[in-house]
Amino acid sequence: MTDHAAARRLNPLHLVAAFATGGLLTAMVHLNGELARYGNPLFSSWVAHGTGTAAALLLLALLLRRQGAGAPAKPSAPLWAYLGGISGAVTVMLTSFAVNSPIALSGTLALGLAGQVGFGLAADRWGLFGLPARRPGGRDFAALGLILAGSLLIILQGHFA
Amino acid sequence: MILSAIFACVAGMLVIVSRQLNGRLSLSTSPLVSSFWNHVVGFAALTVVGLAVGRLLPAGAGEVPWWVYLGGPLGVVFVASGSWLVARIGAINTALLVVGGQMVSGVAFDLMRSAAPSAWLSGLGVALILAGMALTQKRS
Repeated sequence: MTDHAAARRLNPLHLVAAFATGGLLTAMVHLNGELARYGNPLFSSWVAHGTGTAAALLLLALLLRRQGAGAPAKPSAPLWAYLGGISGAVTVMLTSFAVNSPIALSGTLALGLAGQVGFGLAADRWGLFGLPARRPGGRDFAALGLILAGSLLIILQGHFA
Repeated sequence: MILSAIFACVAGMLVIVSRQLNGRLSLSTSPLVSSFWNHVVGFAALTVVGLAVGRLLPAGAGEVPWWVYLGGPLGVVFVASGSWLVARIGAINTALLVVGGQMVSGVAFDLMRSAAPSAWLSGLGVALILAGMALTQKRS
């Protein structure tokens, strides 16, 4: 199932939601960085996952009370789909190692972005991990190229100036 | 140096893997349930690592101001939102739009704290990101 996204433009709601999610990430990086300053990166990530678990439980309890049962059953997920948290935990360890090496924060961010772009294109191309395959069109590539160039300029500006 | 570079690149790839897995789980459950599992499983994994390495409760842990703990709950919304988005606009769109939002808000955050290394280059970067976002809205 290949979705030819080229013909349609991005839903503005999705565009704004993704951009705002990036803003959330800035706040998280700042707060979890503060936490790491009081302890270490492992402590910071451990605490963030623990408080996150508690917050998610609280939210789910509130939502369950409101909507109750009666939603149609969905096909169950494969067991490997529950392992996103492992991948996230390994990411934290690799990143905190790289940041404290000669490549520093800017190198870690730039190379991490390269990894995201390369593997993100592959994930869409082949529909990896059970999500639909998609082929970006020319306009999508131009838009993504502009965002990538702007991001790299901000990350690596210390090396240009 | 080479090892760190590989680690940084693999970390970026794992960001995509994580979002794909959580996105797949959200299709069978919901973005919030998927985010819950992401945090529970990550917490269990980090507890095992922490117990093995023995640095889970550092000396300064008692002095942390309460608002610093809000990073975890924000992460729940972040992961849920990513799962919701990746199932709708795909991995590369989600990844680059989130990074774009992170960069622009990061520049704004640095400006508020008056710590901009180069306002000129930051401004150009922000302009390129906003131009890319505008281009996604152009009718073809």
